[in-house]
Amino acid sequence: MTKSSLWKAINKYKWGYLFISPWILLFGAFGLYPLLLSFYLTFFTYNFIEPQAQRFVGLGNWIHGFLDPLFWRSVFNICYNQAIFIGLTFCISLGVALLLKQVGAGGRLYRTVYFVPTVCSVVVVMTVGGYLSSPEGPIQAYLLNLGLLKEPIHWKFDKWLSMPVLAVINSWKWFGIQTVIFLAGLISIDPTLYEAAAIDGANAWDKFWHITIPQLNPQIVFILVMNGIYGLQMFTEVYMNFDLYGGIYHQALTPVLYLYAVAFDQSNMGYASTLGLMLAGLIFILTMLQFRFIQREID
Amino acid sequence: MVTRSQVYGGRFYRALKIRKNLSRWIAYFILTLGGGVVVYPFFYMVMNSFKPGPEILHAPMKLPSRWVVTGYIAVWRELQVPLLFRNSLILAVSITLLNLFFDSLAAYALSKLRFPGRDTLFNLMLATLMIPGVLFLIPTYVIMYRLGWVGHFRSLIIPASISVYNIFLMKQFMQRIPDELIDAARIDGCGELGVYFRIVLPLSRPVLTTVAILTFMGSWNDFFGPLLYLMEDPSKWTVQLGLQYFNTSIPGENAEQIWAATTAITVPLVLLYFLLQDQFMKAFAGMRLK
Repeated sequence: MTKSSLWKAINKYKWGYLFISPWILLFGAFGLYPLLLSFYLTFFTYNFIEPQAQRFVGLGNWIHGFLDPLFWRSVFNICYNQAIFIGLTFCISLGVALLLKQVGAGGRLYRTVYFVPTVCSVVVVMTVGGYLSSPEGPIQAYLLNLGLLKEPIHWKFDKWLSMPVLAVINSWKWFGIQTVIFLAGLISIDPTLYEAAAIDGANAWDKFWHITIPQLNPQIVFILVMNGIYGLQMFTEVYMNFDLYGGIYHQALTPVLYLYAVAFDQSNMGYASTLGLMLAGLIFILTMLQFRFIQREID
Repeated sequence: MVTRSQVYGGRFYRALKIRKNLSRWIAYFILTLGGGVVVYPFFYMVMNSFKPGPEILHAPMKLPSRWVVTGYIAVWRELQVPLLFRNSLILAVSITLLNLFFDSLAAYALSKLRFPGRDTLFNLMLATLMIPGVLFLIPTYVIMYRLGWVGHFRSLIIPASISVYNIFLMKQFMQRIPDELIDAARIDGCGELGVYFRIVLPLSRPVLTTVAILTFMGSWNDFFGPLLYLMEDPSKWTVQLGLQYFNTSIPGENAEQIWAATTAITVPLVLLYFLLQDQFMKAFAGMRLK
């Protein structure tokens, strides 16, 4: 290529490259570079107070991570929480979406109201939800009055109840958005499918299992993948309600909370970086498994 | 034409109609109950924010015996409320504006301009969406610390000023703008920037609204980012950090301030949502599926 034709090519394409360049620059500085740095940091102990004390530890952080009971405890906790959250939110939002479809245009006001918690911040929701569900709050008072509860439950200090209660509060926050997603899916299902099934003598239950659920596949996939990626990185919810190690039994320790504690309480950036990579790896594997599973379902 | 009632016979059809109506009423009943579950915490929050302090603890479910604003006054006195709102606004507005500009430029290039490597670049972008954010947490903090950006707004604004997800949304939208329009503008002597400002941006209003809402809300509600980078310096706190200030481990402490502060943070947002509800719902749920 001669010099002038190279110049011509650059001139021809310059706008494309120019318009895309902010992303390239920012991705280099705050995407690629941190990614490489995070691998680099895993081989050292490093803290801000004495950066000169940086020490090479080889695979030490990785071995520590794979053998760290607290890390695996945090992985168990978040899976426990997400299993309840995903199941509960799925049932509620699909049920509400079916009801909204039935009432048609009259459901607009309900849809608007159900969406309000979604636009509120996690900090607000956790403050309000935490107070309402506390032993001093109204929910437990009602249940005590009705005799459904014998004594107040201090769920923030309970080994097994902390995560389920957080899951219920989060369901309250997020079911609105999932309802709207499901409703959009339900409305787009071809009504002739139901009519054909009715002629074949299918009852409501058959229609639900054999038409509604398979037809909602794209929405279900979307919700599962999003929950997998975001839910496993839960932080604010537990940071606000518990200490940095997730309470006396570590019952609410999530991986990101643990990473935060290692980084800013123990100021061990190298190990925190290792934990970040381990969690990212787990999320990646999970997402891949979901896609695999879904692929098989479609085949 | 044979109508349905003729096929089924009038009586059977009427019975079917009654059954259908009944199930409609049951649906309305359950939905209203659900609405109560959603609204009650907000009602509780607003009600308690106007209660005298001791009543919040001793009569949490009753309406206030006197409507007072002592909680709000206490919040106002203990925190620099206008400063918190100002800081949150600085962050949210600058991140939103930068995103609208950079994302739409990139999306325009990816959807309407031709240059070698364009599709590879776009695939690379999509691949980065799969990387969980937690991976960047520690190394980014280390970088910010070394740059001396910790405690400055730029540590939150600059990395957030462009987003692949938004670029993706905008690209999907801009692909539907007819090429003839753009070519016509070029023939009329518009440069690429002219096409972008005069044709592409005005036609992309709906997707720009979506991105603006998502970005603004994300920044306004963010807690982790400000906690990491702005916690040390109270003059840099956002509204979310301000609320956290009243949360203590002692139950009932600061109850007045907590309810007043949560109400003050939530009400503007909910009002904005009611004003723009269709855009909000499309932004959060509708666009993601397309």
